[in-house]
Amino acid sequence: MSKKERAVAKRKKKWDGISNFFRANSIWMLMYCTGCCAIELPQAMTSKYDMERLGMGPMATPRQADVILVTGYLSVKTLRRVIYAYEQMGEPKYLVAFGPCTINGGIYYDAHPVIKSLDQYLPIDVYIAGCMPKPEAVMNGFQDLIDMIKRKEANGWRKYQENKEWYRENQIHALGELRIKDEFHE
Amino acid sequence: MKEVKLFVGPQHPGMHGNASIHMYVDGDIINRAYLLPGMLHRGFEKSMEKRTWMNNIALIPRICVPEPDTNEMVYAMNIEALANIEVPERAHWIRMLVLELARLAIHLMAFGGCGGPTGLYTAMYWAQADRDGILELFEEISGQRIYHMYIVAGGVRKDLPKGIEKKIIAYIDDLEARLPDYEELVLNNPSIRKRLVDNIILPKEVVWELGVTGIGMRSATGEPYDLRKVTPYARYDKVEFDVPTATYSDAQTRMTLKYLEMYQTIRIIRQVLDMMPKGKVRAKVDDGSALRWKVPAGQVYSAVEASRGEYGYYTVSTGELMPYRVAVRGASFPQGLLGLEKYLPGHRIDDAPLWFDTMGICSPEIDR
Amino acid sequence: MNNIIKEFVDNVTAKFELMGVDYPADLQVSLDFDQRDIHNALAYIKGAGWTQMSLLTCVDWIADNEFQLVFILFNWKNGVRLQVRTRIDRDKPVFTTITNIYPGAQYYERDVHEFFGVEFEGNPDSYKQLFLENWDDIPPLRKDFDAIAYSDRKYPARKYKANFSTEAGESK
Repeated sequence: MSKKERAVAKRKKKWDGISNFFRANSIWMLMYCTGCCAIELPQAMTSKYDMERLGMGPMATPRQADVILVTGYLSVKTLRRVIYAYEQMGEPKYLVAFGPCTINGGIYYDAHPVIKSLDQYLPIDVYIAGCMPKPEAVMNGFQDLIDMIKRKEANGWRKYQENKEWYRENQIHALGELRIKDEFHE
Repeated sequence: MKEVKLFVGPQHPGMHGNASIHMYVDGDIINRAYLLPGMLHRGFEKSMEKRTWMNNIALIPRICVPEPDTNEMVYAMNIEALANIEVPERAHWIRMLVLELARLAIHLMAFGGCGGPTGLYTAMYWAQADRDGILELFEEISGQRIYHMYIVAGGVRKDLPKGIEKKIIAYIDDLEARLPDYEELVLNNPSIRKRLVDNIILPKEVVWELGVTGIGMRSATGEPYDLRKVTPYARYDKVEFDVPTATYSDAQTRMTLKYLEMYQTIRIIRQVLDMMPKGKVRAKVDDGSALRWKVPAGQVYSAVEASRGEYGYYTVSTGELMPYRVAVRGASFPQGLLGLEKYLPGHRIDDAPLWFDTMGICSPEIDR
Repeated sequence: MNNIIKEFVDNVTAKFELMGVDYPADLQVSLDFDQRDIHNALAYIKGAGWTQMSLLTCVDWIADNEFQLVFILFNWKNGVRLQVRTRIDRDKPVFTTITNIYPGAQYYERDVHEFFGVEFEGNPDSYKQLFLENWDDIPPLRKDFDAIAYSDRKYPARKYKANFSTEAGESK
């Protein structure tokens, strides 16, 4: 590594630290809830727990969002759309998974339309425990995510970039086809 | 102008639950609209065939997320009809208490949900804060905020905790005092009325055609068609309450009926707490282990009045360890699929979430 | 109330050939019809006041090699609920649509077609997929469909490292 390259790397590292500080303090979460754990999110967002204390707010479009919440089980139909939304998000992006269903299928371990472990299809930064997680747990999970961003440990998106073939292979295995067809009613 | 194909949802801030509306629009007027369900399909009906009668109690509340207690109630009612179980008197009253608290919670959520797509987030904040009070009561009663697994075959899982009556009374006093504020905030608010009045009308005849029940039916027909009155279950025949009705079903009417129903629910809760007897809360349903309990053979359908309409299970038993078949009638199945397809066209794109909200559509129960 | 039920059942028996009548719960009657009679019977029952179709579902009696279609009808005037049932052949599950009698059945028929593979003649919409997407196996609610095997094949489970041991050795 030449002297110039080293200087560039050093600057980049410093810049990453600064940008991570700002990222961690203003997180936009994608307004998309996939499963039942979403029912506790309104509580976490509104008066009682007030997510905006952490600098988090809802965002309508994936392109402007930083974090996607996978709230609970994923049927294959949803997984197809979650992958679609996740790939639209600008980097860096984070994924928070709720409940046991995203770890090993939870109560739906034997259900034909529900996937078992989400980390084979998308990289996960934070798991939140509980079926369903209480708002306190949700807030705690978000705080963990913020700390991880500050410590530069929330690198799921890098993992996805580097191992894209592996993820793609798993996705195809479960879904058959990634493209979303919209002709069901025609 | 050219017709444009447009998806609203599943990733959309105005969608109630994980569902999608596939619509063809001309400008912002919807020409045709279809619901795309199945994002929350979990194959419950299949999973239930692979679990014992008692194990299923953990599974069923998850069919309808915002109002899980109706699931437990119909499942328990079916088993009790099949096995001829006499439910203790106190358990009936506790069940009514739980069901009415849940109804209160989901009506509050509907008020909050109405605030979302109309841009009035104050309603959302108020309603969710009030709903949190009910969830805390539930946590004290059953141990869980959302999924209670409290109503089981033969009664309820355990007795009410000591002193909960006082807390419930304090809560409903507080809520009742603040309900007029909701009327001022949502129902009389000029900016919301502009969106709700004379919008998304459900004509009288269609109700029969589609099989829409609940608020949708009562707001159009003007008849008190409420399962709590027509076929009283638990002890609804012992309490006094009115069923608010209307003959012109626009979005405003349906929200008003929800508002009026909240008063009736509070009235029922007060009577339940007054009239509740002391005694056992759970009948013994089996001789040996509950997990090896075989429910006698038979085919039975039970339904209760959920906040969205008739919610029922059709249960088939062959006298085995596990149910042979359980079919779920989601209360919002007719209005969610066929109703949306027939009555949304002609409205604007931003009216779609209001249809979801005022008809009370719960996508997990459509998908199952 | 029992008089109403009795009178109604008598009327139905006089008009149609009933395969069986049962009273599974209060205010609930189940009527079994032959497949030929079911459409006329449904039209008659609707005319008699059972205007609401609550549910159309199917039960897979694999031992008898038959599907049982169940129509749950409700009369709001007197609160009597009917289970109208009929059995069809499991190998060739074809049934004529009832959407001309109960238009609300349209999506229920689609649901039954998707989960059991029963074909509803006269309801072209019922052949489209509704809840499932890219489904590649037999209809999932049939009794011979093994959901666990399907799930294991399509969605591999998480592999755990053995992290505790018993006297018999390491356990997974």
